Amino acid sequence: MSDEPNTTYWKSLNELAQNEEYKKFAEREFPENAPELSDGFSRRTFLRMMGASVALAGFAACRRPVQKILPYSKQPENIVPGIPNYYASAMPFQDALTGLVIENHEGRPTKVEGNEMHPASLGSTSKFNQAATLNMYDPERSREVRQNGDVASYAAFVSFCNQHFSDTGRNIAFISEANSSPTFNDLKDRALSQFPNAQWVTYEPFGEENALEGTNIAFGQRLRTVNHFDEASVIVALDDDFLNPAAHKNSVQNTKEFTQGRDLETGDDISRLYAVESTFTVTGSNADNRFRLKSSEIEQFVRALGEELSVSGISAGGSNKFTNHEWISELAKDLQNNRSQSILTLGNEHRPELHAAVAAINGALNNAGSTVTYHELPYAENQSNREVFSNIVDGLNDETIDTVVIVGGNPVFNAPADLDMANALNAAEHVIHLSDYYDETSALAQWHVNRAHFMEIWSDGYSYTGAASIIQPQIEPLHAGKSAIEFLNTIITGEKSDGYSLVQKTWQNRISGGFQNGWEQILHDGIASEETYPEVTPSLSGGLGAAMQNGADQNESGEGIELVIRPDSKLFDGRYANNGWLQELPDPMTKITWDNVALMSPKTAEDLGVEAAGLGVAEVDLLTIRANGTQVEIPAWVQPGHADGSITVTVGYGRKGIGNVADAVGVDTYPLRTSQNMLFTEDINVNNTGELYEIACTQDHNSMEGRSLLRQATLQEYRENPDFSQYEEAYNAELPGEEWANEHDADAPLSIFDAIAGKDYPDYQPQWGMTIDLNSCIGCGTCTIACQAENNIPVIGKDEVKNGREMHWIRTDRYFEGDKDNPNAMHQPVPCMHCELAPCEQVCPVAATTHSEDGMNQMTYNRCIGTRYCANNCPYKVRRFNFFNYTDEFLTDGEDPEVIQMAMNPNVTVRFRGVMEKCTYCVQRVNSAKIKTQIETDGSMKPPDGMVKTACQQACPSDAIYFGDLTDPESEVSKTKRNNRNYLLLEELNTRPRTSYMAKVTNPNPQLA
Amino acid sequence: MSKNYEYVPEPKLIKGDHTFGSITNLIAKTPLSSTPKLWYLAFAVANLLLIILLGSVGYLIWDGIGIWGLNNPAGWGWAIINFVWWVGIGHAGTLISAILFLFRQGWRTAINRFAEAMTIFAVMCAGLFPAIHVGRIWVIYWVFPIPNQMGVWPNFSSPLLWDVFAVSTYFTVSLLFWYVGLVPDFATLRDKAKSKAAKITYGIAALGWTGSFRNWWNYEKAYMILAGLATPLVLSVHTIVSFDFAVSLIPGWHSTIFPPYFVAGAIYSGFAMVLSLMLVARKIYGLEEIMNIDIMEKMNLVMMVTGNLVAFAYLTEGFVAWYSGYIYEQGIFWLYVVGPYAWGFWILMFCNVITPQFLWSKSIRRNVTLTFIISIIVNIGMWFERFMIAVVSLSTDFMPSSWDYYSPTLWDILIYVGTFGLFFTFFLLFLRFMPMVAIAEVKGVMPQADPHNYDEETNDFIEARAEPTMANQQTVQQKSE
Repeated sequence: MSDEPNTTYWKSLNELAQNEEYKKFAEREFPENAPELSDGFSRRTFLRMMGASVALAGFAACRRPVQKILPYSKQPENIVPGIPNYYASAMPFQDALTGLVIENHEGRPTKVEGNEMHPASLGSTSKFNQAATLNMYDPERSREVRQNGDVASYAAFVSFCNQHFSDTGRNIAFISEANSSPTFNDLKDRALSQFPNAQWVTYEPFGEENALEGTNIAFGQRLRTVNHFDEASVIVALDDDFLNPAAHKNSVQNTKEFTQGRDLETGDDISRLYAVESTFTVTGSNADNRFRLKSSEIEQFVRALGEELSVSGISAGGSNKFTNHEWISELAKDLQNNRSQSILTLGNEHRPELHAAVAAINGALNNAGSTVTYHELPYAENQSNREVFSNIVDGLNDETIDTVVIVGGNPVFNAPADLDMANALNAAEHVIHLSDYYDETSALAQWHVNRAHFMEIWSDGYSYTGAASIIQPQIEPLHAGKSAIEFLNTIITGEKSDGYSLVQKTWQNRISGGFQNGWEQILHDGIASEETYPEVTPSLSGGLGAAMQNGADQNESGEGIELVIRPDSKLFDGRYANNGWLQELPDPMTKITWDNVALMSPKTAEDLGVEAAGLGVAEVDLLTIRANGTQVEIPAWVQPGHADGSITVTVGYGRKGIGNVADAVGVDTYPLRTSQNMLFTEDINVNNTGELYEIACTQDHNSMEGRSLLRQATLQEYRENPDFSQYEEAYNAELPGEEWANEHDADAPLSIFDAIAGKDYPDYQPQWGMTIDLNSCIGCGTCTIACQAENNIPVIGKDEVKNGREMHWIRTDRYFEGDKDNPNAMHQPVPCMHCELAPCEQVCPVAATTHSEDGMNQMTYNRCIGTRYCANNCPYKVRRFNFFNYTDEFLTDGEDPEVIQMAMNPNVTVRFRGVMEKCTYCVQRVNSAKIKTQIETDGSMKPPDGMVKTACQQACPSDAIYFGDLTDPESEVSKTKRNNRNYLLLEELNTRPRTSYMAKVTNPNPQLA
Repeated sequence: MSKNYEYVPEPKLIKGDHTFGSITNLIAKTPLSSTPKLWYLAFAVANLLLIILLGSVGYLIWDGIGIWGLNNPAGWGWAIINFVWWVGIGHAGTLISAILFLFRQGWRTAINRFAEAMTIFAVMCAGLFPAIHVGRIWVIYWVFPIPNQMGVWPNFSSPLLWDVFAVSTYFTVSLLFWYVGLVPDFATLRDKAKSKAAKITYGIAALGWTGSFRNWWNYEKAYMILAGLATPLVLSVHTIVSFDFAVSLIPGWHSTIFPPYFVAGAIYSGFAMVLSLMLVARKIYGLEEIMNIDIMEKMNLVMMVTGNLVAFAYLTEGFVAWYSGYIYEQGIFWLYVVGPYAWGFWILMFCNVITPQFLWSKSIRRNVTLTFIISIIVNIGMWFERFMIAVVSLSTDFMPSSWDYYSPTLWDILIYVGTFGLFFTFFLLFLRFMPMVAIAEVKGVMPQADPHNYDEETNDFIEARAEPTMANQQTVQQKSE
């Protein structure tokens, strides 16, 4: 049969004339000059491939017909356009996996949620998990293989490997990120056996290397320390921000357990958290007693504590400044009273000897084996990676290493400055770099291979505690990136690799019984087993005493200012620098966006002549910090609660050539960090340049000004007066209007529905309400990112944040209270209150914001003309205005905007400029649940309790947010509303908010308060 | 007790030796003679500012409200301040022409035309701001209750909607009132005009006025009715503008004192603006004998009274903040005084509390230069009053976490400055082509207008013949024996 149809249908005369130009034109979706993806991945291609894969795969959303991935739950029989599928997977962060369930819209992952079956998630996530979707759809992720900077094909790289690595005698250095994947570690073993002269180092700029070395000193074995915060009565965090995902890779589980230990509803006593730290961290802000201490003094503190507790091997070297300190005696008393129920935990970057000492103290307190357990890592190296790393750098400089294979990571940017990684890599003949971005290291590499995002690959791995999972792809690699295992396998075999078969091969002998069933079960569940790494009961080796001798004489820390370098709470080591959501997330403690700063206490600031920023003062002094033979200019920030004589900086900023988001934001502080001074440098030189620098901070005022917005009491006060959080108690005055309400025989608080319907609530509709438990909330900011991901909230950039126009629908307010130098910090997430008597609704001239029958304050974007009157009249200031066309700028900026558009939630309208927006209680989730319930129950509009979870609630690692139907007296949220800690924000305004708060209860040691 | 009444004649309202004819000539000569060079210069400057306004507004509509300095707590800034300020200024004209007309204040005739013109142009400037300050100006017609296919009405409980009605009604009535007053004068110009174009134009504007008894009868009735209609509007428009603030729950806004306080402030600033303009115009156009010192003093007295009312309102706000025990109100008052915008508060105190006190002195009240300076200071002060109310209350309200500092951008400033271009473009056209004093009305308060009591020799009233019941120019002083 001829290709030409018998009858010619033509759309235009040009087509009829078989014009070549027209043919091209007709094939293009968009006319000439319209931007289209350059790498052959246009929307049409995408749809074509989608269509084909759906047709071929039948039920799976994956576009590889033979590699079946299975839905986790809620699986429709077929793909129904508009109905998302949910697939289990896991996100690796260093060598710890967090189990996830990923929402997939027609083959397009848009949102991650925690996997309730996975121990490191239990249904929750960290902000890094939530931000992962934007990382994947980052248009500036590296898209191609490059040879000496020029675009090359992957085939060329494969043939290079084939030829280059056929010589197995090469001196190869593998520098890898921490990775718990058994497939990866098998390949690592294969590589080391195949290339006898190869060295392997796991390098992470911030990791648990020192903790592993510490256990090596204490127990003669590199072991993972797992703290069980839910089982502890007393927790002592020594410079350890274990609730912060940037400081601890198991933060979600830590947070869950910590919150469980603080649960007031069980009626038991809650745990007590002591924090001894230099920087005011998220963990420190949740501490019941907090001791500000320079990081360089932590060692003396630990020694004094060890001596007070008579732990053998730890001495204060006679006595030091903490020997008779009240903190030491009180802490020792409390720890002694809670033997086997306490935890001492030390910040990762402290030196190994100190980790050994803390392990010894935990052992002496009988904590080891109960609240603190030690586990054998199946993939742990028996070497100090930091030592190996510097050996490799030496080898490079001596030119004894000819090939460097860098598997992820960016050592040129983040290796200790004294190692001069750039110089060392220049000396190597061949540098091969696998990475997400064409970054600082890639620029020095002969071969750059673009890495696939974890949502695009097959892989596997363990959670922090050792629960194994398989990572299954959600989408074909957008830019044909390769996973670490594929990359490594290509180097070993010299052939193209296929992650799916590699992972399957690993699991062939791990799955007992039928492989296919077992495999599918693991994919479905997102977890293979909840088994932990093998626990060992270690005994102290004799090495501790000797190790602790070393350094005992350095007991007096310098009087000068110390510099503490920490990972950034948003960018971590810099790997998330091109993520706009994270850049724009206010730091939990400083509320600064789009910058890193030098944090210092008010007293240190005074010494340096630094003025604090505040209301109307956005400009801060620029400092010159001289340390370790270099100097860095960085803006100063006065952080109440910071240790005196100490300055903290975070890393990851000051990037060049990474992307539009990351570049030129903040200051690169890595040059200040050397192998000898990974955590702190003493006696640095700081100068105030007198120049000013403008900071975009979202909270200019830190005091509640005597307004009882965030209510808290100590455990004792709560026991004595369980109603402490009620208005009458908080203000020692009667609630305005209550008298009237009583006289008129109305129950306070009144409800709008009393007046209208003559009954409490329309009973055919659910009545939505939310409660935020401030006792659980740790202030991490995960809710903000989750909300941003769910509700298509645009990133607006530093200038607009500086103008005070941040768009977050849920913000976390952080207040300081008490002593200016050593205050308490408190966190309060504030979404829309969905007031029953909403002040915003009354003032809108065009009725664009109105109430729904199910009690939500709704915003009709199409009707809004943008007078901003509603935002003015909102006492909670939760309404956000599109001053510019932010969404348009966010989604059409850059060379290839269509990629980032794929990250958007199709169920949420994007907002045009000139309209108001705000928290909707995730109305899209509510309504889809209502529709589903209506279909399934033949008409009821009330979804069962727990069926609707708002994005913030679902993501929250501390389960601080409750949401549900108030007409159901047994719903979780109704129970919280009856709780005596429940109170309404600004109750006296009679706005009758549907969102309420549960007051915070602390458990401080009265002797130290 | 016996009483003895003595007539104390008021000074003549129109100074100099004027006849009806000389008044007509004095006022009609400006529209009918050729354009002076100075006018062109002034008009060029005004046009330049107008172009700045149009350009800035164009850019605003093109790029979005974000070009202004607004932020999350402060959703309203200069635009709303300028709106309230211009509306306030727009109060003087109708007050002078309507309320003083009903109270038979003859001195109003010297300035009413002038003040009404100012009112109309000021309300035009004011009306611009609510329109351009919305995020989506292309759907602003949704604020009008127009039946539509969406079946949605505006929200009648929103003060912004009341504003729409209040300001548009005020503008319409003021314009009508002004035009009705202009009809006899247009006829005068028509009759005196030499050029054909002027004759035709003024002729059309004069609506066929013949000066017949019936014409005058209808005119007087219409004028009276419109004055009656306009009088409540003078009070209502700023009352309703104040509702934009008072009806909300923001501390510093939510206050029952706002309506009278806003009206007093409006009259205060309106009179100041009339004075500023009048003192310049009378000099340039040689109208010192009509817009004379006596009238200036009377206006100064009104300013002194309203200024002190405003000052009293400030005091009351402070007292209420303290007495209410309402911590947010106390907080906002304290922030006024010592907060980040305290500089604005102290400018306000100087302009609106201290400055009017100078007017207690008769010599200052009658000093042209000082009056001019005071009138300018008062207008600055009233701008700052709106600044403090709008910005400070919003940017530092209930939640200290959301407090933010508001500062304007170049575009805020350009649009404000540009409205002076709009104002003066129209005002200069008015000065050039229309009778800037109500010719017919001024004649009505001259001694010649009272044939029974007029003495041609002295060119004044004959005191002995005057009767208290009809002498609207005279006051009665009670003397106790």
